[in-house]
Amino acid sequence: MSALRSGSLSRLLPPIAAFVLIVGLWQLIVSQAGIPAYLLPKPSDIVEAVGSNWRSLLGSVYTTTLETILGFLFSVIGGVLGAILLASSKMIERSIYPYAIILQTIPIVAVAPIIVIWFDAGLRSIVIIAFLIGFCPMLSNTLIGLNSTDQNLKNLFHLYNASKWQTMWKLRIPAALPYIVGGLKISCSLCVIGAIVGEYVAGVGGGQGGLGYAITYAAMRIQTPYLFACGLMASLLGIAFYQLVSFLSRKLLGSWHESELRTDID
Amino acid sequence: MEVLGLKKVSKTYRNGTVAVQEADLRIHEGQFVSFVGPSGCGKSTIFRMSAGLSSPTSGEIEILGGTPEQARRSNSISCVFQEATLLPWVSVRDNIALPLQLRKQPRKQQLEEAERVLQLVGLQDYAKALPRELSGGMKMRVSIARALVAKPRILFMDEPFGALDEITRQTLQEELLTIWQQTERMTILFVTHNAFEAVYLSNRIMVMTPRPGRISAEIPIDIPYPRGERFREHPDFSRYVSLVNESLRH
Repeated sequence: MSALRSGSLSRLLPPIAAFVLIVGLWQLIVSQAGIPAYLLPKPSDIVEAVGSNWRSLLGSVYTTTLETILGFLFSVIGGVLGAILLASSKMIERSIYPYAIILQTIPIVAVAPIIVIWFDAGLRSIVIIAFLIGFCPMLSNTLIGLNSTDQNLKNLFHLYNASKWQTMWKLRIPAALPYIVGGLKISCSLCVIGAIVGEYVAGVGGGQGGLGYAITYAAMRIQTPYLFACGLMASLLGIAFYQLVSFLSRKLLGSWHESELRTDID
Repeated sequence: MEVLGLKKVSKTYRNGTVAVQEADLRIHEGQFVSFVGPSGCGKSTIFRMSAGLSSPTSGEIEILGGTPEQARRSNSISCVFQEATLLPWVSVRDNIALPLQLRKQPRKQQLEEAERVLQLVGLQDYAKALPRELSGGMKMRVSIARALVAKPRILFMDEPFGALDEITRQTLQEELLTIWQQTERMTILFVTHNAFEAVYLSNRIMVMTPRPGRISAEIPIDIPYPRGERFREHPDFSRYVSLVNESLRH
């Protein structure tokens, strides 16, 4: 037990030490050089900005979290169901998949204004933008996973008269889980970015804006410490989402897949 | 009763390779037939065509009085591949029960049948284990158990012990013979490149030669079962192995 504790301590200590060192140097250099806060705020300025604006910052984090969760859920549902549809028939895959690739290559900033025209500014448009960014990695990864099933296992299911649906549900989807989880990890971070980009284009004020809107607003008013605080919160949000998906990954694959198996060798 | 018949069966791949050329074969119920030959001689191709996993370029295959497709639909055939081919995310018991699950048999019946074959292969204590917790030999036992749970009339085995060490291989050979003798008239088609294995297990050996893959000799092994471990030291065993090796060289 104590070995375990000392093991996790030795893993945590280096990044914590690096963090303290970097923040300390940043504080020291900026104060010594007399750089104004609107150009580069000290860490203490950022903490102060968080303290004095915590209510509106919390509101922005809540809004962005909601948009990200909705965009992510739609991406996962759409990506997985779309991939199952494409994988169920080579003809459907050949007909539709090229358009999914085209969708992936169109810059989201070019599509976003059209979405705002169609769906108005606000939550709906932002969720659609987050969905569009997170959807393609989910679709591609799941499709690769579904098409990578071991041929001997497929033969086995064929020999035992498995229906197409049984093969999909009992073999192809479970075998594709490591790929699906890979897609989730990419998509969750992209959805945070999608929600923030969406807020740049389709964000609304009046206390309902998310982090993207708050960043735009702070930049216009040259409130650099608050801008840094918003950026920090966006980053923390991305990390939290990633950790959540990693937890899910361990639950889904921890007992059988190499990527999540714990070994004694580091 | 004839369970498998091949009439002038040939298989040519798209790249022009002739994997099997005009194979003629008749296999009767309850036989243990081994196909022996070097790599690339078409043993596995005959296996795959007979099991309905690929089609011949020409010729006819009749299995249990119908086509391989009909035999498959009537749940009369099972396969064991070179690798154990288990689902890594489900337990040993659920891997074994898979054919019954796919047939949508009641869960209680699935578990009872899985328990029965688990005891047959001596893995009753590992029912809840995941495949990654088993050794290579144990995984192969699970694979054989899964094939047996379906109660097939014909069991196809494609070099099932090829990746195992010699001791495990010999143990599994003995276990396979014991299981086969316990089943009623099950026919086994066994692919191997090992003459010792073929002689120990089979009552009929088909020797194959490569490029193009042809059945070049047929050797009946007239030694009654049960053969037991001592059979490997018997002069007849060495005589049959020499005969197979000689046929392989021609």
